[in-house]
Amino acid sequence: MKVYDGSQTESGEEAKPERLKVGIAEYEVTTDSAVLTTSGLGSCIGIALYDEPTGAAGLVHIMLPTAEDVEGGNRAKFADTGVTELVEALEAVGASAETMQAKIAGGSDMLDFSENGSSIGSRNLDQVRATLSEFDIPIAGEDVGGDHGRSLRLEADSGDLVVKSANTESVVL
Amino acid sequence: MNVDIQSLGTFNQLAHEGAKQATQSLAQMTGIDAVVDVTKITLLDRADIGEDLAGRDFVGVQFEYEGVLEGDTVLVFDAESADTIADALMAGASDDPGMAQSAVKEIGNIMMSGFIDGWADYLDSTIDHSPPEYIEKSGAAVLPEAPETGDHRQVFVFKSEIEWVGESVNFYIYMLPEYEPLAEAMVESVDTEGDAIPIDKLQTFNEMTTKGTQQAADNVEMMTGIPTEAEVTQISFAPIEDVPKQIGTDTYVGTVVEFTGVPSGYLMVLFDEVSAVNVAEAMMPVEMDGDGLDDQHKAAIEELGNIMTSGFVDGWANVLQTSVDHTPPKLVHDMGRAIVDPLAAQVGQHQEHAFIIDSKMQTDDIEFSAEIHALPNEQELRAALDDLDVDRADETEADVEQIFE
Repeated sequence: MKVYDGSQTESGEEAKPERLKVGIAEYEVTTDSAVLTTSGLGSCIGIALYDEPTGAAGLVHIMLPTAEDVEGGNRAKFADTGVTELVEALEAVGASAETMQAKIAGGSDMLDFSENGSSIGSRNLDQVRATLSEFDIPIAGEDVGGDHGRSLRLEADSGDLVVKSANTESVVL
Repeated sequence: MNVDIQSLGTFNQLAHEGAKQATQSLAQMTGIDAVVDVTKITLLDRADIGEDLAGRDFVGVQFEYEGVLEGDTVLVFDAESADTIADALMAGASDDPGMAQSAVKEIGNIMMSGFIDGWADYLDSTIDHSPPEYIEKSGAAVLPEAPETGDHRQVFVFKSEIEWVGESVNFYIYMLPEYEPLAEAMVESVDTEGDAIPIDKLQTFNEMTTKGTQQAADNVEMMTGIPTEAEVTQISFAPIEDVPKQIGTDTYVGTVVEFTGVPSGYLMVLFDEVSAVNVAEAMMPVEMDGDGLDDQHKAAIEELGNIMTSGFVDGWANVLQTSVDHTPPKLVHDMGRAIVDPLAAQVGQHQEHAFIIDSKMQTDDIEFSAEIHALPNEQELRAALDDLDVDRADETEADVEQIFE
């Protein structure tokens, strides 16, 4: 009888931080210094929350500004409910909104065909800021707007958010 | 038969749940941490099934299943990943071909039992499956024979991609259900009042898109002198948040337009960077110095994107007998997913799921391939198809020839 415990994959290697992939309209939370990644942000926004006292960190990848008109959908898809969901998930593992800091990236205006009214990217951004301020969570760093895509890596041991673009150098927030 | 949007949504959800069950079983039994990447339902020509697997070797398992749904399903992965998988199951297994094979079989069994149970649970019914059969083949041959569909040239394929976190290993699940049981299950699962699309119209639409792609390919040939073939045309259905995942994270160059009319939506013409340089240089009168993509290349791509878009969109407009206009092309050079992301968000303001129309073209002469992806407004596409006169189906061949002359 074989025993599958996955332990053989860990032997002899230097312990690498766990890597969690966050898809569109998804979030992940870690309390053990995992690396959280998400890719291909255009008008979408990645919101990283980091709570220094507990070392808890989380990343959500939102797509649209508000869940207002949608019933029973996926909360992580929208800026307002997505940020709220992430705050609650971090509180559930012991973090406190009072000590959380936010770093945000994305919300580009690329491929905005709207002739009047603001782009989805900037509306996403407005809503993210509004919801974070409702929780009194300060924005400690941001790389937003512009007309290019971004991919993110949140290093939960330091709270660093690394922003990569296709045509420019990486930025560390 | 009519398929309604809701039942496509429900069935996509079923496939997703099945794939999730498969990954959970995998995690429980082996400790392998995996996530479901993409799940989609695709309607395509029998001959084109598994086109995206071409040129790679696969191993995996195949099952037959019967019950509320009937057909064949496979779980496969790249042959080169087989060792990694075997060793994860049992250290040292990859050294012994016999052991490696039984490891693959075992993992396939674990995952596919989960997959099929996931479906059966949600359909609240039973689905039995045969013992796993080990397979080792190249490209599309790894997939089971597509079911006979009688009058229908096109088949529904459910495809899920599962990623092993931290390893570059992907599992692919393909499920090819028999037409009749699938149709029955779809009809039973939701009421088809209101937003149904007759399946034959969807097929006709697919064929029309093929003609549009051919026209776009002809336009490429005209401008570059490179003989270009339209390859695959398919229409897929997926949750809006999975739409950007249909395109890779690699960098692409191309053009995007918004089209208006019935339907409205967005259309992308995308080239990988190597193809972009190759095709742009084929359009230029003089040899270029240096390598990499410069502004001259981009200008050429913009022109090409424009003419390809026109060929493609005109095809639709003529078939749907509506007028479809489009904006001037916007040049893009960015990671593929980030290009699609704002477009999916635009469409996603009004709908939960989306139809994605994908076409590919390539040439044997130089390294060149181009993709066309269209993201129509779902309700408008339905309205346009509703108005499509299927009685013309027999004439469509002739019609299309006339249209594109």
